[in-house]
This record gives sequence, structure tokens and C-alpha cells, in this order.
Amino acid sequence: MSAARLEFATSRSTEFVDLTERIRDEVGRAGLRNGRVHLQSLHTTVGLAVNENEPLLLRDFQEMLERIAPTGAGYEHDDFTRRIDVALDEPVNGHAHCRQLLLSAFLTLLVEDGELVMGRWQSVFAVELDGPRRRQLAMQLDGDFVRPQRVDLPEALVEVELARQLMVDPEPVAAPMRRLVEAGGKRLRPRLVQLTAGIGPRNDPLRAAELAAAVELLHNATLIHDDYVDESTHRRGRPTVAAAEGPERAIAVGDYYFAKATRLIAEIGNPAVTSAVAEALEAICASQIDDVALRGAYPGDRESYMGVVRGKTASLFAAACASGALLSEAPPEVVGALRRYGDLLGTAFQMADDMVDFSSSSGKPVGLDIRQRVLSLPLIYAADDRVVGPEVRKLLAGTLGDAEVGRVAELVTTSDALPRVRREAQALVEDAVRQIENVELDGLRPVLAGLARAAVDRNS
Amino acid sequence: MSVQQLDRELDRLQGLWSDGLSDAYRVYLDSVRHFDADVQPKLALAAALIEVGTRLQGLGGRAAPPTTLLMGDLCLARGSRLLADNAPLAVQVAFARAIESISSAAASETPAPPTRPLLQQSLGATR
Repeated sequence: MSAARLEFATSRSTEFVDLTERIRDEVGRAGLRNGRVHLQSLHTTVGLAVNENEPLLLRDFQEMLERIAPTGAGYEHDDFTRRIDVALDEPVNGHAHCRQLLLSAFLTLLVEDGELVMGRWQSVFAVELDGPRRRQLAMQLDGDFVRPQRVDLPEALVEVELARQLMVDPEPVAAPMRRLVEAGGKRLRPRLVQLTAGIGPRNDPLRAAELAAAVELLHNATLIHDDYVDESTHRRGRPTVAAAEGPERAIAVGDYYFAKATRLIAEIGNPAVTSAVAEALEAICASQIDDVALRGAYPGDRESYMGVVRGKTASLFAAACASGALLSEAPPEVVGALRRYGDLLGTAFQMADDMVDFSSSSGKPVGLDIRQRVLSLPLIYAADDRVVGPEVRKLLAGTLGDAEVGRVAELVTTSDALPRVRREAQALVEDAVRQIENVELDGLRPVLAGLARAAVDRNS
Repeated sequence: MSVQQLDRELDRLQGLWSDGLSDAYRVYLDSVRHFDADVQPKLALAAALIEVGTRLQGLGGRAAPPTTLLMGDLCLARGSRLLADNAPLAVQVAFARAIESISSAAASETPAPPTRPLLQQSLGATR
């Protein structure tokens, strides 16, 4: 059994809050394969319902509630002179309590093969009847969960493997790479390798960890060269190798780990895996050239952006997924589905990364991408925006000092660009999840779905 | 396989062909005679790309400007992919070790072994 609280805030007096995706995420995160999700409202003026999320229909429901239990219709509950122990902030809400009686405070949803069992038009709603307020639902999941050893991935193995590899390298190359690796990072690519390496019949966690660590080293090697090209001074809160030790050292360290990672992958002895990663590396390098070339026409257009992102970011996500599956000798249709999943996830991940540049809570300086003229989808959309677009384009065409960067960031956040990118990233993630719907993943589908959704729902 | 047949592998890198890549390619052709005929050009090109790539990057010397570095990176990546698709495991490993030794020397600011003999030797690796 797994228990949690679902919290949400409402912004209107009556509001239908669609919780379907959040519940799906919880099912994925918990690894529930077959069972039930129980929901219970913790409030007397919040109900639960399953119905269609169609805006006009939701308005019909709202009007129906108003007809049956109209606001201010002389409810005895609202006569505070006759009640005892009335709180100072007691709201006039007799209508809301009566309306709640028409709904349910409890709901049970079924889960089969890791997915919520929902009809095509069904959505799960928490119905706010006396908002706006912060609300909570109690949630319990029971049933059969994905085997614990599959959920609790041996992520520590990757860290041990990374440390082991860095320990045997010459210090002039190992020290800068160690600083970068120890500074953190999301480790999404190695996680994808490990997850997908458990799908096929040949599940060897040690070999998977070796491959995962090599993929992470390769990723970091590309970052070291990127930082020199982008003239970045910091990464993961620490000085970049180029900034700290000079471009000559950065080039050498990047090359060393590019070579070492490809060797480690080759030594695993699976030619399909070696080729998958080598193709991705080539795509990354080609896209880097395009990326820099496009900075002359900054901020560029969506089509160019997508081309660069698919090579620069998505290709290694796709290769990570495919190579793990290949390592485990998964069937070709599974490898293909996972490759498509990784490609879409990687693209969505990069879009989410672009949005982080405009988040003050990310821990990074706002507008860093703007300053470095890095391709960014929110910026492309803001530049196309009818209202803010002309000013954005004018600012980007000039010198970008602190004031200009700040103003561009402000314009982007006031436009529809960020919600638009978020919607697009979420749609890509759902498409990614659909790619793995019809292949046998030995119970890992909810984990991969949860990971994909979490990758775009972040602020750092 | 003719030079024209290698065109696909020279995508984005055609400019380098007359700038040392073709010379290096011809030299490496002599070092790949012991492989099957259909992979000889690919392995020779892989070695040439890696030699030219490290030179473009300024590895062991003065750092290349960013755009040149990226061309060098693409040379290395393509060479690596050609090896992954066409070379025996021992050759792939020998090439990787060669780059590791050159870049490690560059990072340590010590004299690096000359690239071409190292790569020619890698093409002869058997285990």
C-alpha cells in the first residue's frame, strides 16, 4: 500500500479541478501495476466526480448546482446568531455544504497494467464549492506494485562506476571531470539506460551500470566543449573547465572522456549498442554546428530549433533508451518504441530546460540563455508574439546588457510563450508515453511514464 | 570504394577534403590493406578524420576558436561512428586509447606521441 496527499489550490468559488494527470503520475511514481487508487476529500465543501472535461459542460454542472442549492438562499447554517462556536473567519457557505451532498467525498479508480482505467471522455475532478482555497485529498494506492528491485534502481552502482573510472585516470583529466560529475546533474540519461536495460531477457545490472556511467561521461564530455563554445563561466554552480583551467585543458579533457566513454561502451561487446551511441554522438556534434550557425539569425524559428534540439539533446536520450534495451536483448519492436520514447522525451526535456531560464526559483541567473544567445523556444514564441514580439526582436538585435536581458525576460514571461512551450512539452511527453503503450515492458511502463512527466514538470 | 562513394561520410566536411583530409586518407589506405575491401575506405577515412579532427581542435597546442573546435568534434565523432560500424573491437579500443593518450598528454602539458604513427598502429591492433 502507498499513501499520499494530493494538494491543490483553487482560484474561484466553484471550480472543477482536473486531477487525472496528477493521479496518473502518482500511479507511475508508486509503480502500481494492478490495483486501486482511493481518493477521499478532506473537506466538507469539496466533492469528487468523474465526468467529461468539456468547458461548456462544466458550466452546465455549475449552473445545475446553483439551481439546486442557490447561493444565499437563507441557509440556517449561515445564521451565525443561532450557532455556537463560530470561528472568526467562518464563511457564509451553507450552499456549498448542500452542494457537496450531491457529490461524493470518496472515489475509487482502477489500475490495470500500470494505467488508470478510464473511459475516453472521463476525467477525475475535485470540485471546489467554496473557493478559492488550498485543498487536500487523501490518496491510497493498493494492489500489485512493480517488483521492488525494479523500482529501487541500483542508481548507486552508476555513481560507484563513475568514481571507479575517474580514479584510474590521469589527474590532469580526472580532476576537472570529477568536479563536474560530483557537482550533480540529473543523471537522466544513465537512469534511462538502467531502466531499459532491465526490460529484455538478459538483465545484467553491472553491465548496465557500466554502460550508464559511460553514457554519463560522454554527456559530460560534450558539456565541457559546449561550455567553451558558449563562453559559459559556470555549470552546476561551479566554474566550467574552460573558465577554471583554460580552453586548451577543456578541449583535452573533453576529448579524453569522449574517447574513454566510447572505449568503455565498445568493450561491453555489443556492436548494436556501440553503434547506437556513436550515431547519437555524431548527431550531437552536427547539431552543435547548426546551433552556433543559427545564432546569426537569433532567435531563429521553431523548425530550426526542433532540428537542433533533436540532434543536440534528444539523440542521446533516444540512444540511452535504445542502448539499454539492446544490451538486455529486448526485441526490435521494443527497442524501436523506446528509441521513439527517448527522442520525444529528450525534446520535451530541452523545452522544459528552456523554460527554467525564465524561472527565478531555478537557482540559475534568469536570462542566461538570452545573454549567450542560445536557441530557446520561449524566446522564439515571444519574438513571434503580436504584442511583445516587436520589442523582443528589437532588443535581441542590439547589444544585450543586464537591462536588455532583464527586459527580454520580462516580456517573455508576460507573453503566452511560456504556457505555450509548457503545453507543447507536455504534449510531447504524452506522445512519448503513447510510444511505449503497445510493447511489453515487464511492468516498467508506469515508471517510464512517471519519469517522462516529471522531466518536464520541474523548475530546475 | 571511390572517393565519390565516401561523399555521404563527408557531409558538412567537404571543405576539409582539400585541406589535408584527402592526403591523410591516402596515407591511411596503405594501413588498411589487411581488412576486407569494402571496409578499407571507411577505416582509412575514420583514421584521417580523427587525425584532422584533433589537429583542427588544436589538441596539444593553442585552442581552436569555437566554430573550428566544433568541426573538429564532428570529425572525431564521425570517425568514431565509422569505426563502431566497420572496425573490429580491438581496433576500436586501440583508437580510443590513442586519443586518450594524446589528450591526456595535452592536458598534462607534456609532449604527445605523434598522432599518425599512433593511429596507423591502432589500425593493426588485433586484441
